[in-house]
Amino acid sequence: MTERSSLADGASPPAAAGTRPVFLPSEVDPTVFDEAFLRQLERLLLLMRSPVRGGLKGGRRSVKRGQSVEFADYREYALGDDLRQLDWNVYARLERLFVKLFVEEEDVTVTLLLDASMSMAKGTPSKLVFAKRAAAALGYIGLASEDRVTVSALTGRTARRRAALRGSGRVFRLLADLSAIEAADGPTDLLAAARHAAAQLHGRGVVVLLSDLLDPAADRVIRELAATGSELIVLHVLSPEELDPQLEGDLRLVDTETEERVDITADLATIDAYKARLADWMGAFADLAARRRASYVDLASDQNLAELMFAELRRRRVLG
Amino acid sequence: MPFATPLALLGLLFLPAVIAMYLLKLRRDEAVVPSTLLWTRLVADVEANAPWQRLRHSLLLLLQLLLVIALALLAARPFLERPAGLARDIVLVMDTSASMSATDVVPDRLTAAKQVAIEALKDLPTGGKVSVIAADRSARIVVNESNDLSRVRQAIEGIPVTQSRGDLGDALELASKLAARSGDAQVLVATDAALATTPTGKVAAPVKVLTVGRERKNQAIVALAVRTSPSAVTRSVFTSVANLDLDSAARRLELWGDDRLLEVRDVHLDPQARSDVLIDDLPKGVGTVEVRLVGADPAVVAAPDQLPVDDRAWAVVPPDRTRLVLVVGSGDPYLETALSYLPDVELYGVTPAEYGPKTERTDGRPWDLVVFESFLPATLPKTPVLAISPPTSSPLGDVSGTLKDPGIGTLDPDEPVLRFVDLSTTHIAEAAKLTTPSWARTIIPGPRGAPLLYSGTHDGVNQAVLAFEPRRSDLPLQVAFPILLANLTGELLGSSTAPTEAVAPGTPVQLVIPSGAKGLTVTRPDGTTTELVPTTTAGTSAAVTFAGTDQLGIYTVTPMVDPAASSRPSGSGAPSGSAPSATPAGTARPLASTGASEAPVVVDPLAPVRFAVDLFDVGESTIAPGSAAAIVALGTQPGASPAPGASGVGGAGSPATERPTTRDELWVPIVLAVLAFLCVEWALYHRDGLVKLRRTIGERLGRSGAGPATG
Repeated sequence: MTERSSLADGASPPAAAGTRPVFLPSEVDPTVFDEAFLRQLERLLLLMRSPVRGGLKGGRRSVKRGQSVEFADYREYALGDDLRQLDWNVYARLERLFVKLFVEEEDVTVTLLLDASMSMAKGTPSKLVFAKRAAAALGYIGLASEDRVTVSALTGRTARRRAALRGSGRVFRLLADLSAIEAADGPTDLLAAARHAAAQLHGRGVVVLLSDLLDPAADRVIRELAATGSELIVLHVLSPEELDPQLEGDLRLVDTETEERVDITADLATIDAYKARLADWMGAFADLAARRRASYVDLASDQNLAELMFAELRRRRVLG
Repeated sequence: MPFATPLALLGLLFLPAVIAMYLLKLRRDEAVVPSTLLWTRLVADVEANAPWQRLRHSLLLLLQLLLVIALALLAARPFLERPAGLARDIVLVMDTSASMSATDVVPDRLTAAKQVAIEALKDLPTGGKVSVIAADRSARIVVNESNDLSRVRQAIEGIPVTQSRGDLGDALELASKLAARSGDAQVLVATDAALATTPTGKVAAPVKVLTVGRERKNQAIVALAVRTSPSAVTRSVFTSVANLDLDSAARRLELWGDDRLLEVRDVHLDPQARSDVLIDDLPKGVGTVEVRLVGADPAVVAAPDQLPVDDRAWAVVPPDRTRLVLVVGSGDPYLETALSYLPDVELYGVTPAEYGPKTERTDGRPWDLVVFESFLPATLPKTPVLAISPPTSSPLGDVSGTLKDPGIGTLDPDEPVLRFVDLSTTHIAEAAKLTTPSWARTIIPGPRGAPLLYSGTHDGVNQAVLAFEPRRSDLPLQVAFPILLANLTGELLGSSTAPTEAVAPGTPVQLVIPSGAKGLTVTRPDGTTTELVPTTTAGTSAAVTFAGTDQLGIYTVTPMVDPAASSRPSGSGAPSGSAPSATPAGTARPLASTGASEAPVVVDPLAPVRFAVDLFDVGESTIAPGSAAAIVALGTQPGASPAPGASGVGGAGSPATERPTTRDELWVPIVLAVLAFLCVEWALYHRDGLVKLRRTIGERLGRSGAGPATG
């Protein structure tokens, strides 16, 4: 609790970026988080588009009517109902029996699917580092909201799921899990890994996919994750070099995963065509996400993480 | 299409080399990217992987191939052939006289004539030769039989306009001689045909005239003189202005003295008429005067007419100096009368018996001239001497007897002493028989080589000997006598160190080197100097000829003091002071005095003297373009009269059998094409930068345009 209280009251001065705060365990990468950012995250809650059904009660509303104190609705008494829930005031006025319904609060599982393919290790700053920080931030928010948070790294054809965490006191475990994720050595089949991750889901919850989606089957990944019934949030992370390539001249482009080679003449027309293609590609993902009632957020890896958390995700109604 | 150097087309072999280099240029820089997923979907870049497809789309390669083709064509020098308009040998006469500087055509007639001539030479047959003659006061060959047209053009461009009178006849005669060397020659004359004297000699080739000039608006100063008034007190400036236009003109005449404006007169000039302006009372101390003809409106700074060169004239004011002349003799009234009429002369006389040290002046000033009449002292004075009928032999010459009724030999028309002197009716009763010494030149030759008058410089002193007494002839009764005496004393007195009258531009002038000087330095109006030092130091070389009078203005002649020479004549060299006398002239009695009445000025013979060079040529100032027909008529049509020495028998140059052709090389359009290819290639190569620049400018303009609206 000493660690938790120190985060909450903000007594200790914020550590400079890149230096390890005194309370951070050795498993946590100090370059990813600093103390001040962690405190700011506490104020955020995940904004759910709609109530989701969960196994445990938590700080979130459930579609089920239950035993909480928040009134939801009335319904006519039926045989077998708990007589303690009858509203006698209504019976006195209407002479009919009604039962009060209350919103049952449940906890939900937030699953952070982190694409750890080799392409995610590229970019300045690295897309994987950015994705880790974003995942940590979202995970921490989930922990602070008494949700269950689990991290799953998509590498090769599998998803390496970590144990579910609950409560804000497990934040360092979360950070340690994220720090342990390394980019894959070989090619990654994002669809197979996503399917594996979907099979590991327990019920409906929130699934956050952090990926560059540089996979031919990326659209099917979104489609299948959305089909799990969980609320899907796609954080599409691209590096500045991918968003605005600074290439010039006759070049041979080498794919970092497949080592496939493409010869191009990078002139203005080519770059313009690439940008148009990129916009169409990202637009297709956004459309697909909208059709599947998923959230899609395109991000640049050089984006300020605080700005992302406090402005961009709130603007997109991912965070409340 | 024919080519001058077809071998240069081998340069087309570079075409495959360029293509090969393009094909071989497959080495690309590798760039590792996270994924090639998006790139592979770009169709155009995928196609770029195929070399031939890339060739098909490469405008740069196409442009480079076109460049190689154009450069090879350029080196091969393609040309078009057409009949030549000129003969194989061209003699181009460029009129460079003063009238060619007229500005009625822009910028002036000579420049226009050069352009016309260069344009005309484009009709020169292939292999044709060109000679160029510049014609002003005399003709000179600028280019001789050159087939290098660029050199000819350069030479034509370098011909300067002169300020002298043109003599086209001389140039045409020279052109005729040059043309006579060839069987197919033609004379081109680039002129304004405003000729002072129409040439008359025939030219042994056809003549074509390239006329320049349109108008005749010109007013000119045609005379300027500074004269002492009869009272010998003041000086007057006489100016004559001619209007050579067909319209009347109002002009303003400015008189400048030593670069100070002295007086301004408004002059109304009738068409084709002269107007004389007399300005009296020239201030004392003025050395040179300049007259400028300017526009009537002083606010207008533009030249008032189309020939500025004749709107200015200069004159040298005669110096105030009195000459001291001593006559030693019995007293010849004719001689004394003639001498007394000389300007600025104080005349003194003594008898031979009185002559001696006592006749030396006590004021330290030597006699400027001593005239011995039938008498010679044992020792000649160190001053200029005129010995008349010397009785005995002396350093001035040997007397070997007497000549009775000597006839006068053939006179040299260029002899300056005999200028305006007519001796055709002169009879001489008796004269001393003399022999011309080596230091002297014969002025009036007598019978059998015996001179009647000779002059020269002996021991650094001007000396002359007249073999007869004037009264022993009828010469004193003739007008020639005072003129001869004036010319002779003028030479002896050294007054003609520089010419006193205006010199025509380009005319050589005779400059006298005074005693004690080793040479002369002539400063031209533009400040450049010329040193004139005679090559020999013999007595006859005391005069030098200066020919560089091509500029209008004042020339200053400064004697170069010879440190090795004896001291100045006015110094202590004269035996003065041995017999002090109460009168400045010792025992000499004054006979007459003319000129200024002021105290005599001690004249330094080594002081700089000046002379003026002026155009004063109505012929050159008349810039109205003349008729070319008169010049064309001087030419000889081919076949009419064979040119002497022409070698046009059979050879390739026979104009009657074969019409020569000329080539128009097509390098200009090829060079333009090369430049266009280069520009397009540059734009293509940098098209990305240009597009970015355009976008940046567009964005900034959009921002600046949107700023006020949103604010």
